[in-house]
Order: sequence, then C-alpha cells, then structure tokens
Amino acid sequence: MDVHRLGIKVFIAEPVRLQVTDFIPIFHTWIQKQIVQDHLLVDVHNYSHIHHGPGILLVAHQGNFSIDMGDGRMGLLYNRKQPDSGTIHDRFVTILKFVLRGCCLLEADPGLARRLRFRTDELLIIANDRLNTPNEDATFLELQPALSALFQRILDGTEFTLSRYSKDPKERFAVRVQTNQSPEVKTLLARVS
Amino acid sequence: MPTWKEKLAGKMDSQLEEEIDVFETQIALRRSGKLDEKIFAETRLRRGVYGQRYDNGHRHDGIRTQELQYLSEMTKGPDTLWDAPGMQRIKIPFGGLTPDQMDALAELAEEYSDGVLHVTTRQDFQLHYVHIDDTPTLMRRLAAVGITTREACGNSIRNVTACPLAGVCRDEVFDVTPYAKASSKFLLGHPDAQGFGRKFKIAFSGCRERACGLVNMHDMGCIAVKRVENGEEKRGFELYVGGGLGAVPHQAKLFDSFLPEEELLPISQAIARVFARLGEKKNRAAARIKFLVTKLGIDEFRRIVLEERKTMPVDPRWTGYLAAVEKYKEKPSREASPLNGRQRPEGFDEWYRTNVYCQRQAGYAVAAITLPLGDLSAWQTRGLADVARRFSGDNVRTTVEQNIVLRWVSEADLPDLYRELKRIGLGDAGAGTIVDVTACPGTDTCKLGIASSRGLAAEIRTRLAGKFFNLDEAVKNLHIKISGCFNSCGQHHVADLGFYGTSRTIGNRKVPHFQIVLGGKWQDNAGAYGLAMGTVPSKRIPEVVERITDRFVRERQGTETFQEFVKRIGKQELTTILTPLMQGPAYEQDPSFYSDWGDPREFSIGDLGVGECAGEVVSVAQFDLAAAERMVFEGQLRLDEGDYAQADALAYRAMLQAAISLVKTQFQDVTDAPDTVVNEFRTRFYDTQLLGDRYAGSRFAQYLFKRHLSPPHEHTRDQAHRTVEEAQLFIESAYACYDLLTERGGMAAPLRPPVHTEKAAGIR
Repeated sequence: MDVHRLGIKVFIAEPVRLQVTDFIPIFHTWIQKQIVQDHLLVDVHNYSHIHHGPGILLVAHQGNFSIDMGDGRMGLLYNRKQPDSGTIHDRFVTILKFVLRGCCLLEADPGLARRLRFRTDELLIIANDRLNTPNEDATFLELQPALSALFQRILDGTEFTLSRYSKDPKERFAVRVQTNQSPEVKTLLARVS
Repeated sequence: MPTWKEKLAGKMDSQLEEEIDVFETQIALRRSGKLDEKIFAETRLRRGVYGQRYDNGHRHDGIRTQELQYLSEMTKGPDTLWDAPGMQRIKIPFGGLTPDQMDALAELAEEYSDGVLHVTTRQDFQLHYVHIDDTPTLMRRLAAVGITTREACGNSIRNVTACPLAGVCRDEVFDVTPYAKASSKFLLGHPDAQGFGRKFKIAFSGCRERACGLVNMHDMGCIAVKRVENGEEKRGFELYVGGGLGAVPHQAKLFDSFLPEEELLPISQAIARVFARLGEKKNRAAARIKFLVTKLGIDEFRRIVLEERKTMPVDPRWTGYLAAVEKYKEKPSREASPLNGRQRPEGFDEWYRTNVYCQRQAGYAVAAITLPLGDLSAWQTRGLADVARRFSGDNVRTTVEQNIVLRWVSEADLPDLYRELKRIGLGDAGAGTIVDVTACPGTDTCKLGIASSRGLAAEIRTRLAGKFFNLDEAVKNLHIKISGCFNSCGQHHVADLGFYGTSRTIGNRKVPHFQIVLGGKWQDNAGAYGLAMGTVPSKRIPEVVERITDRFVRERQGTETFQEFVKRIGKQELTTILTPLMQGPAYEQDPSFYSDWGDPREFSIGDLGVGECAGEVVSVAQFDLAAAERMVFEGQLRLDEGDYAQADALAYRAMLQAAISLVKTQFQDVTDAPDTVVNEFRTRFYDTQLLGDRYAGSRFAQYLFKRHLSPPHEHTRDQAHRTVEEAQLFIESAYACYDLLTERGGMAAPLRPPVHTEKAAGIR
C-alpha cells in the first residue's frame, strides 16, 4: 500500500498534572537546539483555544509533532508529511521511532520533571490519506499484517489487539493498538531501533 | 497509485479543472526553471497560494537567527523557499457555504494543513503550513465541491463579501446575495481585472445603518436602495468607491446615490478598467484605488468611469442574471416553529441573548457560532456540517467577525442545536460582543506581523470571558479588533477599541507594543475610523482595556455611545488615562515584557519579511506571455508523447497567445478570434516594425502568419516539431518586443482601439 502520510499518537498518563501550554517553551527549546534527528524544526503554534484540537503544534518540514487534544485526550502525535522509502512496515517503524524519541525527550525535560509520563498500553495509528486509505474494513485487512508484525516485535510477545478507531467514513482511517502492559517509552524505542 | 485528479475527473467544473491543470503545469515550469520566480509568485498568489512567515529560510529562535536548511534551494518567489510552509486562502463568496463544502474543507485541513480552518475578516478560509506541491490536489478537491481559490490573493479582485444576514435581516432593503454572487462570478478572472497594481475588495450591504458589509472601508461598496420611477419600484445600489483601511485609512466616496441594478456589473467593469489603466503600478504603497480616487477627485473619477462605460462592448452577462434575482430563495431544512415552552438547557439563555438573531421570517432564527480567534478544528468542522444538515440546510455563512452563522434554524430547534454545538465545543456565548475579539494572523504566520495579535486577542478574551456576565451592558457590546501591524487586516480602525502591533526599544532590547486606536465605528457600515492614542507595551494592553472600559461605564452620559464618549472627553484626557501605562519596565525588573503573548522567545523584529499581500506587479502582457510559454511547454510534452496534432495545435495557440499579449497593450478589447488576432498583430507590430528590431522578430512573425494561413494537411513528427520550435522563437521575439516597449514607456492601453476590427477579415 502506497501510503506515506501516517501518524502515531502516544497518550499521556495523568494529564491533569499538565497544562497543554506547558509545552510551548519546550518546543521552542527543541527548535533552538534542532534537537529532533532527521527533522528541520520550523515553528510552534498555539491552538490551545480549540476544543479537542491540535493543542500545541511543533511544525517540522518532514512531519509535525503536537501535544494533541483530540477526543479530549492529551498525547504526543507525530504526523508524517514527507514521503519515506521502504515498505509499509518500514514506514510504520520510522514514524514509531520518531514519536517515541519525542516522548523520551519530553519525559526527560526538566521543565516537566516528574509530571509527565507516557502510557504505552494504547497507541493510535492514523493514516492521513483518504485516497489511499479510505476508512473501511478493506484498508484494515490490508494494513493489519504489517501492523501485527511490528507490534509483535516491539511488544515483545505481549498480547495486543488491533481495532478500527472509528467506522465513520468521513473520518480518517485509524487503528487503536491495545495491550494490558505499559512498558516505558524508552524500552519500546530500544526495541524498535 | 491512484490520484485525486483521476478520481475527481468529470466531477469538477471543466473550467476550474482546466485552470488547475494549468497551475500544475506552471508549478512544473517553475520547478524546471522555465518560469521566472517573480511571475510564478504572482501566478500562485492569484491561486490563493500565499507565503508564510519564515519562508525566506530564516527564523529568530529567541537567541539567534537560524537558517532553516531545507534540502532544496528552489524558490517559489523572490526570497521565498519552495519547501517552506505556506498559506492557502480559499475564497467563499459572500461567505456562503454548504455542509458538503464544510466536509471537504475539514478533510483538506487534516490532510494538507495542520488540522485547523481559520475564518478571515473577509469571509475567506485560510489553511496554514501547506506545501506548495499539495496545492493542485487541494484545489481539485475544492473544485469538486464548487469552490475556487482563484484570485484569493494577488493584485486581483478578492473575495466579494456581503452581510451574513442578507436575505433574513429585519432591516434590509432587499437581499443582496444574488448580486454579490453575480459580481463574484462575473469579475472572477475577468480580463479587465487582471492589470491592477494592487488588490481590489468589494462588499455588499442590505442597509446603511448596521455594520453589514462594512461598505465604507472597501475599494467598492454597494448598499441596497430602492426608488420609485414612473410608479414602478426599482432596485439599485448606493455605490461607493475608494474606501480602504491599511496604514492610511480612507472613507469611501459616494459614486452614485442610485445605480440601477442593471448597471451594477458594467459599472464594476468600467471601474476595473479605469483602475487597471490609471492606478499606480510602481509604488505599492500608493497603488490602491483609494489613492487614485483621492488624486483625481471623485467627480473626475466618476466622469472617467462613465466615459469608459460608454466605450465597452456589450456583454450579455451584465443583465443575464437579473431574471433569476427575483426568484432567488433559500431553502430551510425544517418547518418554522416558535421557541415558546421548549426546555432550555443550562447556559442556553446566555447563549441565546448574544448568539441568536430572529429572522424577519417568523419562526426562524440565525445562530452565530463563536469561533475563538476565527479557528475551528477539522473535527469541529465536520461536526458543524452535520449540525447544519440537521438544523439549517445549505444555509451557512462565514462572517467578517471570524465566526460562522447557521441561518434558517427553526426557533423550536434552538435548544437542541445549542446542545449539539456544546458537544463539539462550539457553544460559546458572546458572538459580536467585547469577548469576541477579532485578530489577524499577526506574528503567528504572517510575514509582516510585528506583534502577536492572536496572542493578545486570546489573552483579552480569556480575561473578559471570566467576567462577561457581570460586565456592564454598555461594555458588553463594544468591539475589540487587533492587527499585528499597521496594515489593518484585523480591521482595528473600525473597532471601539482597536490595536495594532508595533515595536519599541527599551535599553537596547525590543519590546512588543500596540498602538491604541479608539472610537472607530463598526455600525453604519464602518462609519468612522478611530483615533490613534499612543503606544503601550503589549503586556499592558489588557489593563488598557480595563481602564478605558471602566472609565466609560463610570462617566457615560445617558445612552452615550463609546464613540460619543471618546469624542466628548477628548484625546488629551484619554492620553492621561493611558500615560501611566505607556512605559515598560527595565528588562531586569520584568523580562516578561520583552517577549510576546504566548511566545517565550525574546522579542525580535528580525523575522519581518517582505509582504506578499500586494504581490509583485506583473503586467497582463507578462501573464499572457507566460501563458504562451506554458502552451509551448505542453506542446513539447505532446510531441514527446507522439500526439503530433495536439503538439501542433498547442504551438499555434501559443503563438496566438503571444500575439494577443502584445496587441492588448494597444487594444484592450481585442477578441481572441484567430483572424482578428493575426490581423491586429500584423497591423500594429509587424507593419510598424515594432517586432523587428530585436531577435529577428519580423522573421519570426512569419511563423505565425504561415501557420495561421496554412494549417498542416497531415500531422507528422517533423512538422509538429518545427511548429513547436517556431512557436518558441516567436514567443522570444514577443518578449523582446515587450521589453523594448516597456523601456520606451509605451505600454498604456488607450481608451479606444485605434484600429477597427472589421479589417480582421482581410488577412494578408
């Protein structure tokens, strides 16, 4: 399947300890240091005034990071914009790497010390391309093998489920990955790297 | 891999489809270095593809200016990098939208932008952080739902705006919607509106007294009026020209107290022709029509326009739409029913007081959706489209206050509507009140922004929202409008409390400031502009709002308006109120003053770029010549594909197009009939040897004459190849001729064609 605009969201555990605007200075610092590998970081945009919106957006040429508030659930979302090489499996691996690296950076940020922890018992995978990945069962069947292979590897044999996030044909195709364990993001990153 | 072009083939208006294909070819030409960056910049602007802050590849990160190292050094305009994110403006004539269009907009926001739709102060939508390579696809998906981005930016006729209550207003003289629609359609891409030195904005209002379409601040404004002639009631417009905000605001001048409806389009066209011919081209700062009207005086301007009107060839479209005007009717989705007795959810009454307007059609209401900073997410847009389908039908409009209204809502449905809006986070009260602060994009995304208009607007909104229901009624209905610079995109001149961004230096550091403009008049179609009062550090503006409004409440006399209050107490006294706030603290005392709202970077004006608002001034001839080049390019592609007939046809069309580009510099109304074009070209440029003195132009002109008189009997590769080559040489000579004429300063098109087109039959 020739889809490149893929995204992954990792949810934040206990988000009540955080304001979404807490991330504005952090993302500015990321730009100052150009800290995200393989990304040209461009700008920060504050959408905290939008109900269940994109929250705080870190715009990069290759893909955007955001502290996304979709469905009222705070998490780090990475949305790939530029095409990647390799198979669909390779592309999932790449974006998972980028989002997990982002999570690790945030967890280590002194400005959020001990207030931020990501949970990994649930991930959201979004295909941001209605032409190539319409929100229907056929798309799910086509992507399921690549996703299963990926999560069997990085969840280290832990059981997991893949399910369609919404069946509304107007929504983008999205898959929820659920498991009953929540290893640290750095553990997952080590497995995916 | 499937493409949207394939998927949507046949589902778009054929003209829009062709235009987008052309734009895609122009992108390819620019990519291959065959289209000049300046021409490409104006070309993309006329497709609504706009630059965005930092697209010159530099950004101050709070410590230093970073070079943003994109992989490609290619540019999409002067000092504008190809890969840098840009803005796509989407025209919504008179703000009219359908739920299906909203669904499409939501999809585009998600897939090509940042998931957010932004409503502008001129009823457009804007998407930010869009890559130029995605724009043709984005345009196709819009075209499939009947939306064009054409002439959303650039030196063109921008979105035609209208009162969002048109047709349902209790005070209007008549519904201006069909006229706004007809004007928008007629003037879109009109050849007479392509040679402006600056943009041109048109607005319609149904009455004089209310804010409606803000006619007085537009290049051309039309207010509905009626009069009785020979016992018959006739529709017409009070026509205004030469209004505008910007750094130097001008109130529009009355052009005609009663312009009959049948004269609306021809006079608009005549005004466009006069503006294109006489308007300033070199000095962008003085190129809006307001400067031309001021320079000539309204009486002389009117005389020239009316003279021009007499010379114009009759166009059946001038009046063709009028038969449908009387029948124009919107269809509600539900039966009218009163609100009485319905159970009202919590918060409903407050929302109803500020966000609901009872239509003149009994039992129906307009519900305003308050959009903070004009923003709504893709998810909210889809949700709102569903709400509209259920309660309002195809009767959705954007507003110049950066909101959306649902019209024709049955009053009995209002409680359910409110519940649904709350569910998607769009149930805020306060539409059109002091908390509903308008702001341009400012430093968030605009290349010209000096201070953060959106950051300040968000701060003021948050502070006022918390105490809104306790505010004095006189204060609740004031308007706050904020621009990030003096260019007035936030319309600060017509607000009760207006602010525009500026910068001051304190102890060698830059501090964001706002100039305070008080007493502008939103009502009476932007009836008066406010007075500049002085400059205050950005971080003290919320306090300015508090002090001024407190004073107004305390000292207001009777039913005195804010404008009357400002006038009565005078600038000196107002300055006294503001003076204690004008100084900022030293950096060591309070460094927060040295960064802007919502942006922790130390403030800098180093990110200011060159605005694209006006675009580059590219003449009609340059555009036409670029179009000729594109046709030759397409001819070459067909040649490579082995389609020799099409290659030959395109090469021939390219030569005609190049010839037209030169002829139009002397004879604006030349038709595109090949015989006419060739004859006019021969008479004006070949016989006069204007084409002959550079690049062997007169020899190359023979290529056009030969191909015109002797089309090929059979299409072979050799023949097609030769015609393509000859077309390229002919276009080169046309460019050389154009350059020569420009150097000589002989480019102005005269009022009347000096050569009669009847001669066209006599091809030599």
